[in-house]
Amino acid sequence: MNPVIPAPVPIPLPAPPWLVQILLVFTYVLHVLPMNLLVGGAVILAVSTYRGRRDRRHRELARRAARVLPPVVAFAITFGVAPLLFVQLLYGQLFYTSSVLMAWPWLAVVLFLLVAYYGIYWFNFQQEVLGARAFWVMLLTALLLLYIMMTFTQNLSLMQHPQNFYARFLQTPVGNYLGSFDVGTMARFAHFLVAAVAVAGLGLALLARAWRQEAPELAAWARGYGAKWFMAGTGIEFLVGLGFLFSLPPEIRSLFLGGDRLASAILAVAVVLAVLALAVAPRSPAASAVAIIGTISLMAVVRHLLRIAYLRPYFDPRVLPVQGQWVVFALFVVLLLAGGGVLGWMLYKFFCPSSARPTSV
Amino acid sequence: MNYPVWEPPLLGGGLVIGIIAILHVFVSHFAVGGGLFLPITERKAYRENNAALLEYVKSHSTFFVLVVLVFGAVSGVGIWWAIGLVNPEATATLLHVFVWGWAIEWVFFLVEIAAAFIYYYGWDRLDPKTHLLVGWIYFVSAWLSLFVINGILAFMLTPGKWLEAPSFAAAFFNPSMLPSCLMRTAVSVALAGVYALVTAATIRDVALRLEVVRYAAKWILAGTSVIPLASVWYIATLPPLAREIPMGAAPPVMIFAGLSIFFSMLVVVFTYFGPYQHPRYFNLTFAFLIAVLALSTTGVTEWVREAIRKPYIIYNYMYSNTLRVADVAKVRERGILNSALWVRHHTVDPERPELSGGEIFRVVCASCHTVDGYNSMRFAVKGWSAEMIDYQLLHLNELKGFMPPFVGTDAERRALKAWLLTLNPQPTMREPVHPGVQAEAPEAERPGATKP
Repeated sequence: MNPVIPAPVPIPLPAPPWLVQILLVFTYVLHVLPMNLLVGGAVILAVSTYRGRRDRRHRELARRAARVLPPVVAFAITFGVAPLLFVQLLYGQLFYTSSVLMAWPWLAVVLFLLVAYYGIYWFNFQQEVLGARAFWVMLLTALLLLYIMMTFTQNLSLMQHPQNFYARFLQTPVGNYLGSFDVGTMARFAHFLVAAVAVAGLGLALLARAWRQEAPELAAWARGYGAKWFMAGTGIEFLVGLGFLFSLPPEIRSLFLGGDRLASAILAVAVVLAVLALAVAPRSPAASAVAIIGTISLMAVVRHLLRIAYLRPYFDPRVLPVQGQWVVFALFVVLLLAGGGVLGWMLYKFFCPSSARPTSV
Repeated sequence: MNYPVWEPPLLGGGLVIGIIAILHVFVSHFAVGGGLFLPITERKAYRENNAALLEYVKSHSTFFVLVVLVFGAVSGVGIWWAIGLVNPEATATLLHVFVWGWAIEWVFFLVEIAAAFIYYYGWDRLDPKTHLLVGWIYFVSAWLSLFVINGILAFMLTPGKWLEAPSFAAAFFNPSMLPSCLMRTAVSVALAGVYALVTAATIRDVALRLEVVRYAAKWILAGTSVIPLASVWYIATLPPLAREIPMGAAPPVMIFAGLSIFFSMLVVVFTYFGPYQHPRYFNLTFAFLIAVLALSTTGVTEWVREAIRKPYIIYNYMYSNTLRVADVAKVRERGILNSALWVRHHTVDPERPELSGGEIFRVVCASCHTVDGYNSMRFAVKGWSAEMIDYQLLHLNELKGFMPPFVGTDAERRALKAWLLTLNPQPTMREPVHPGVQAEAPEAERPGATKP
C-alpha cells in the first residue's frame, strides 16, 4: 500500500531547499547547545540537590549553577523556534501529520515547558526557603524536561517514517498516539539524553571557572566534578551511539559505514573530535568544549543526512517549486548581522569589567 | 482534507487556539508596552533623582521578567503548537508566504530576550546610561517583533493585492496592517499601565505608591485614548462581510463586539475614577479588577477578530475548514471522501451512510464545530427535520454567510444528513396543534389526561 502523505502547499518555496537545509542545521546547532545544558543541567542539579542534603559542596554547587539556568532555558526556546520554522517549511506535510497524530502528548510539551521554566525560577528564588524540598522541585523540573525530550524524539522519529502514518491513524484516535517504544527510538532518545548530561557536565566545568575568585575551593572541585560527568557521559555515549547506529535499518546504517563517503567521513570526524574532547577534558575544559561543539555540529549534519536517507523513498524537497524571496532574505541576513552586533555589544558591556559600574541616583 | 483532524472534546480545536492565543496576547502586548514603561520610568527616576522610584522600577522588572520571559515566550511557542495541530494547512500556507518575515521576527525576538536578561541582571553591573540604552534596545526589538507578527495576522483577514499578485510585500503591507499595528501599539501602552498598577499596589511607601499608581493610570488612559480612532480606521479597511458580521449578521459576534466596547469603557472609567482620581483608595484587589477587565477586553476582542474572518481562515483564499477557494470545483466533482486523505472509506457506504457522514463531518466541519461542546452540532440541529438539514446543507454559505459552502456530492450530503439525524434520535418536533382542536379532542387523547 502506498503511504498516505499530505500534498505540500501549492505555493513555491521562498528559497531553494539547500539554503533552508543549511539554515535548519545551523539553527538546530544553536538550539541543541543550550538544550543540552538545560536538560543535562537539570539532571545534574537534581543529583547535586539530593546529595546537597548532606554535602555542603553539592548544595553550594546547585545554588550557584542554578543561577545560569533561566537564560539557558530562554535561549534553548528562542533558538529552538528557528529550526522548527525551517523544518515546517521544508517537511511540513510530514511534521504536521506526525504532530497531529500525537497531538495530546505534543501539546503537553508546551504546558510542561511552562511548569519546568517556573520550576527553575522557583528553585532559584526560593532555594533557601524550600530546604529539602528543593530536590523535589528540581527533580520534577528534570522529569518534565525529559518528557519534552522524549516527545520530540517520538514526533521527529514518526515524521521520518511516513509509511507508518496511516496505520497509526487507523489504530488510535487522532491525537492519542503516544509514540513507539522500540529499540531504535529508545536508542535515539538515550543518545540525546546521555549527550545532554555529558555536555552539561562540561558546561559545569567551564562555569566553575567563574567562581574561582569568590570560592576557589568549590571552583576547583566543581571543575573536576563537571569533567567527571562529561567523561563518564561521553564514554557511555560511544556505546549508546554504537547501539543507535546498529538499530538503524541495514541499508541506512551502511551509508554511515562507508556506503556514502561524505556521510561516513562526517561521522568519523565527529567521533574523532569527541575522543579528542575526552582526552583534553581533565586539563582544559575550554579546549574540550571547542572539540565537542565541533562534534555536536557534525552530528547535527549526520542527523539531517539520516532524515534524508529515511525519507528518500517518499519525499525529496528538491522536487518542490522554488520562487526565491531574495530581497526579504537579504533583509533577514542584514538584520541577523545587525542583531548579532547589538547582542555582542550588550554582552560585551555586561561582561566587560571596565563597564561594570553600579547604578546611582 | 490534506491532514488528519484532531478533535479535542468539548473545546474543539478553535477554542484550544483561542485560549492559548488570548493569554498570549494579554502578555505579549505587555511585553511591548512594559518594555516602553521600564526605560521611560527609569529615565524619570534618574531625572527626578528619585531613588524610591528607581527601586520600584527594579522590582517591576523582576515581575516583568517572570511574566514576559516565561509565560510570554512559552505561550507564543504554544500558539505555534496549537495552529500546527488545528490548522496545519493554513499554517503551512502562511509559512510559505512569510517564512522570511518570521525569520526576521526571530532575530528581533532573540535581541529582545537577550536585552531583557541583560536589563534585568544589569541593574548592578551596568552604568545608568548603558542600562537605559539596553532598555530601549529591548523596547525597539519587542515593538518590531509586534510589527512583523501584526502584518502576518492582518494578512489573514485582508490579504489585499496578494490574491491577484502574490509577493511578500503585497502580503505584508496589506490593507489592515497599519491600523491594526496602531491599535496593538496603543493596547500595549494601556496594558503596560494595567500591569504596573498591579506592582504599584504593593508598594509600601505611601507617597511613592500614590505617585506610581497615578502614573500607571496615565499610561492606561493614554493608550486607550488612541484605540477608538485606530478602531474606526481598522474597521474601514475590512471586507464588507467582516463589517456586517458584528453589526447583527451573527448575534453572538455582535454581543461580543458590544462586550469589547463595554469592557474597554469599564477599564477607562474604573481607571479614571479609581487610581487616577483617587489613588489613595487604590489597592491590589482594585488592580486585579482592572487586570481582569483588561483580560476580558482582550479575550472578546480577539474572539471577534477571529469571528469576523469567517467563513475564511485566509480571506478569499482558504475557508475556515482549510479548503482552498480555488479547490472548491475540484472537490465538488471528486467528492469530499475521495479528496480527503484521512478517512477510512473513500466512498459513501450505502448500507451505513451515517458512518460516512461522521467522517465527512470530521473532514469539513470539525475545524469549527464539536459534537457536544463548543459550537455543538447536536445542539445546532436539534429539532431539524431531514428536509431542513438537506436544505441547509445545500445552501449553507447563502443561509449562513459566515460558513463555507458544503462541497460534497449529493450522496455525501445525504450521508452527512443521516449522521446529523443520529445526533438527536428522539423526534422533537410535532405538528403544531391548534388550541381549539385540542379542546375538541376526546378526553383520553388530551395530554396529561387521567381516567377518574
